[in-house]
Amino acid sequence: MNFPSASIRCLFSFSWRDCLVSTGIFFCAVEFCILLRLADSSDGFASPIFVLAVLLISRLTNGYLFGLIASVLGVIGVNYIFTYPYMAFNFTLSGYPLTFLTFLMVSIITSTLTTQIKQQERLRAENEKEKMRANLLRSVSHDIRTPLTSIIGATSAILENPKLSPTEQQELLEDIRNEAQWLIRVVENLLSITRIGDAGTQITKEPELAEEVLGESVRKFRKRFPAVAISVEAPSVPLFVPMDPILIEQVLSNLLENAVVHGKTTSQIRLSVQEKEHTACFSVSDNGQGIPKKEFHTLFDGTLKHSETSSGDGKRNMGLGLSVCLAIVRAHGGTMNAKNLSEGAEFSFRLPLPKKEELSI
Amino acid sequence: MNIREKILVVEDEKSISHFISTILNNNGYEAMQARSGTEALSMISSHCPDLIILDLGLPDMDGTEILQNLRSWSSLPVVVVSARSHEQDKVDALDLGADDYLTKPFGTDELLARVRTAIRHTRTASGNDEIARNGTYTVRDLTIDYNKHQVLMRGENVHLTLSEFRIVALLGKYAGKVLTYDFIIKELWGPRASGDNQILRVNMANIRRKIEKNPAEPEYLFTEVGVGYRMLEGD
Repeated sequence: MNFPSASIRCLFSFSWRDCLVSTGIFFCAVEFCILLRLADSSDGFASPIFVLAVLLISRLTNGYLFGLIASVLGVIGVNYIFTYPYMAFNFTLSGYPLTFLTFLMVSIITSTLTTQIKQQERLRAENEKEKMRANLLRSVSHDIRTPLTSIIGATSAILENPKLSPTEQQELLEDIRNEAQWLIRVVENLLSITRIGDAGTQITKEPELAEEVLGESVRKFRKRFPAVAISVEAPSVPLFVPMDPILIEQVLSNLLENAVVHGKTTSQIRLSVQEKEHTACFSVSDNGQGIPKKEFHTLFDGTLKHSETSSGDGKRNMGLGLSVCLAIVRAHGGTMNAKNLSEGAEFSFRLPLPKKEELSI
Repeated sequence: MNIREKILVVEDEKSISHFISTILNNNGYEAMQARSGTEALSMISSHCPDLIILDLGLPDMDGTEILQNLRSWSSLPVVVVSARSHEQDKVDALDLGADDYLTKPFGTDELLARVRTAIRHTRTASGNDEIARNGTYTVRDLTIDYNKHQVLMRGENVHLTLSEFRIVALLGKYAGKVLTYDFIIKELWGPRASGDNQILRVNMANIRRKIEKNPAEPEYLFTEVGVGYRMLEGD
């Protein structure tokens, strides 16, 4: 439950945007009335136009504040400027209280409706987020269960069968290590999501040298996949990109890993970063099998695609990794892209760069 | 029989402590285990270990508290163990006087490399015995000549500027060890230098362009993202 003072502040919130919108609409109404009066000397049009203005202001601003101000100003405006005697107040006109009441009612009713609609939108967004979270949990539990099963299986095989040959033991132990490494990566991705946090919290961006982040990702990748050749290209002029380096490293390592795991036949990867149209464009391209056509349009829809049928069991999806990439890039205000090359696939993402003058040191 | 170096493993997770100790015991060290901060502190004063491997998250006190306590009376090398996403913890621990850190999960070779480096750096006062002996530090094709203030690649002077040389010289002195941005800035530009590390990074970018074949694939000067820089250590 909100504190009363907080909710009142919410209902009567002030923002410069709203202020600007209100002033704009109000002046339009005044201008319009002045123009109309040039053509028609009767005053009948002033009231409806101001009612319309009050309605628009109430609809387009947050809370009740600006609608109420507009209705008061509207009454004054109609009375002062557009009703005889012009440029003078006359509160003795018959029907005046009714006009005032109409203005007030229009403002209050519209503001109430607007606030309600906005609350419903927020609720729907929260529901959506909740659903996404549930999807994520399901996907992750699945991703975790499979390797855990094989770890437990392999360890009990070793512990309960003392007569296993050393090679058999070695193989089982290697399986265990691989599965555990897979688990670690799942968890790192989850941690990245918590680091992005909710939509409300901002990630902390610092200008980082693109080549340093690239270099680190490649170093770690080489350790894990020594068999895959990887080439790296960074611009000759040091490129500073505002980012959370840990998160961007996560994106790069996910993309590199996907290139190997999902490219299947990948033997070569090219990782590059360059400046393009005021963005830093990072790209990972491989010479693997490319992205299957049927998966293409669901790659970046921001949802976690995980087959809910039991046949999906045992298969690892790239849903989590890519969703995390997309979430991270979006949190940086960037965009992400995927395409098939003549051979293999290319994933790229762009991060916005600051204006040139801020960048120079 | 030679005397084995004693290493105290401070870690509350039994399985992690167990595997670290096993690796150490099988690689010529003598490992002892402490499960809590208080136990660690009493073991440090009674056993005088040669190195401490310290997990930052302990049940009874924060790892940094032990570090602070220890640093008030001893320069015993400490390698901190921490999770990947807590880079601020690593930076804080390093700035509090930890010698190095390990990121969970880590492998055998990484653990042993960090232990070796940390122990080596305490044995020689200048941090690196080659510098003390010859006034140079050499690793692969790179030579830092401390007397002539030069950095050579395959015997060729790479013409660093003065601040570039000082950065390389500092990293070379602590080769194998990660130095935080703050530490480097304070060493180079004094304690009142601004906390902004842009100048350092621009210098590093220039150094890399003079020393490395491909600046995005460094062979000598590594970045520890979010923490600092580390220079390749000789064998």
